[in-house]
Amino acid sequence: MNSQTKSQFIAVASITSELSAVMVVAKEISLAAANAKAIAFRAGDKAKGFQPITDFINELAKETIELVTNINVYALLLYRLTVNEYRRTAAYNRFEQVAKLANGAHYANSMQEPITHAKTMMQDCQRQFKRDVTQLLGQLEAVMHHARAARVIAANSRIEASQAGEYLQSLQAVAESVDKAAHTIHDNVQRCRIALSIYRNS
Amino acid sequence: MKMTKIYEGAHQWVMFGRDENKPDNIIDSNQYIVRTANKCLLLEPGGTELFAPMMAAVLHHAPVDQITDLFASHQDPDVISSLGLWDQALSNAKLHAPALWEGYIRNFGCESIEYVPIPDNGETIKIESVELQIIPAHYLHSPCNFHVYDPQAKILMCGSVGSAFEPANAPVFVERFDVHVEKMRAYHQRMMPSNQAKRAWIDRVRNLDIDILAPQHGRMFKGDDVKRFLDWFDSLQVGTGV
Repeated sequence: MNSQTKSQFIAVASITSELSAVMVVAKEISLAAANAKAIAFRAGDKAKGFQPITDFINELAKETIELVTNINVYALLLYRLTVNEYRRTAAYNRFEQVAKLANGAHYANSMQEPITHAKTMMQDCQRQFKRDVTQLLGQLEAVMHHARAARVIAANSRIEASQAGEYLQSLQAVAESVDKAAHTIHDNVQRCRIALSIYRNS
Repeated sequence: MKMTKIYEGAHQWVMFGRDENKPDNIIDSNQYIVRTANKCLLLEPGGTELFAPMMAAVLHHAPVDQITDLFASHQDPDVISSLGLWDQALSNAKLHAPALWEGYIRNFGCESIEYVPIPDNGETIKIESVELQIIPAHYLHSPCNFHVYDPQAKILMCGSVGSAFEPANAPVFVERFDVHVEKMRAYHQRMMPSNQAKRAWIDRVRNLDIDILAPQHGRMFKGDDVKRFLDWFDSLQVGTGV
C-alpha cells in the first residue's frame, strides 16, 4: 500500500471518528435545549425572551444530528470507494508487472486489454473519490454553518439570560454549554475538512 | 517460474512452480494448467504474491481470454488468495471450488468470475472435450477438499496430499522415493487429521489408473512411485504431528 492510499484510508477513517464526537456534542445541545426550556418555563415572564431561543437551539441540534447521520452514511460509501480504488490500483500494478515478466511470451500481447481496463477502472475510482469528497466537503460546510449559528444563539442567550433575575446563572450555564458545544463541533468538522481538502476536485 | 509439460495429447497438462523470485517467507507451490484447443483450466491458481509470475508463465501457453476456468481444491490462501486479481483480469471465467467454502473464498474478491460450487460428493467438469473427475478428498487436509483426475492423461492433481517443501532448484519429479519420504512425513502427520478420511481416499484412488500424482507442493510422483506413495501413505498414522 503506498503512502497516498494510506493517508486516504486514514482521512476517511478520521471523518467517522470526528463525526461520532460531533454527534455526541449535538445530543448534548439537544439536552441543554430541553433543560433551558424547563428553566425558562419556571422563570415565566423573566425569561420571556429566552423561550423562543430554546426551541431554536433544539431545532439546530436536531438538524445537526440529521446532517451528521447522512454524512456518516456518505463517509461509509467513501470508505468502500477507497477499498475499491485500492484493489483496482493493486490489480493495475500487478498487471503491469505481468506485462514485464511476460516479455517474449507467445500470448504476451493479450495482457494489453486487462491492463487498459484496469487502468480505466482505477482512474474512474480516483475521479469518483474526488467528486464524492467535494460533495462531502459541502455537507461538512453545512454542519459548520450550524455551528456558527449555534454560537450566535449562545451570544443572544447570554443577553436574554442577563435579564432573567434569579434564573440568570442557570440560563447563562445553558448559553455557555451551547457555546462550548458549538466550538467543539466547529473544531471537529474543521479537522475533517482539512483531512479531506487535499482530495477535492480542483 | 519453471514450466514443465507433463502430458501432451489431444490436450496438455503443464506444471508451474519453483519460482526463484518469490519472497523467501512465502511457501513454494505448484500450479497446473489443462490446455485444450480454445480453453485453459488453471488448477490451484496460487497466492497473491504469485499472481504476476504465474500469469506471465501462463501467457506462454494461452491468451488471457482463453483462461476460462479455475479450480481451487480448498480455501487456503496459498491455493486461491490471488482470486481477486484473476477476477479483474479475466472477463469470462468460472471458478470451480468447494460449495462449503464459497462464502470464505469470496473474501479474496470474486465479482466477475462465476463461482461454481462443487457438491460434497464431487462431480465431473468438462473443458471442451476433456472430462475431468472432481474426486472428494475431505479432511486431506481441509474439511472440504477435492482433487482432479484426468482419465485420459492419467494424472491425479492431489492437492495437499503428497506435498513436501523443497528449494527452488529441486527436480519436479521424485527421484529416490526412500529419500523423499522424510520430506513428507512430518507434513502429512501434522496436516492430515484423520486416518479414516485417509483410508477412504486411498480406497477411492487405488481404483484409478494413475501415471502421475501431482501435488500442490514439492515433487510429482510418476510410474512405480505412485503405488509406493499410496502404500506409504496407507501405512502412515496421521493426525499425530503435535
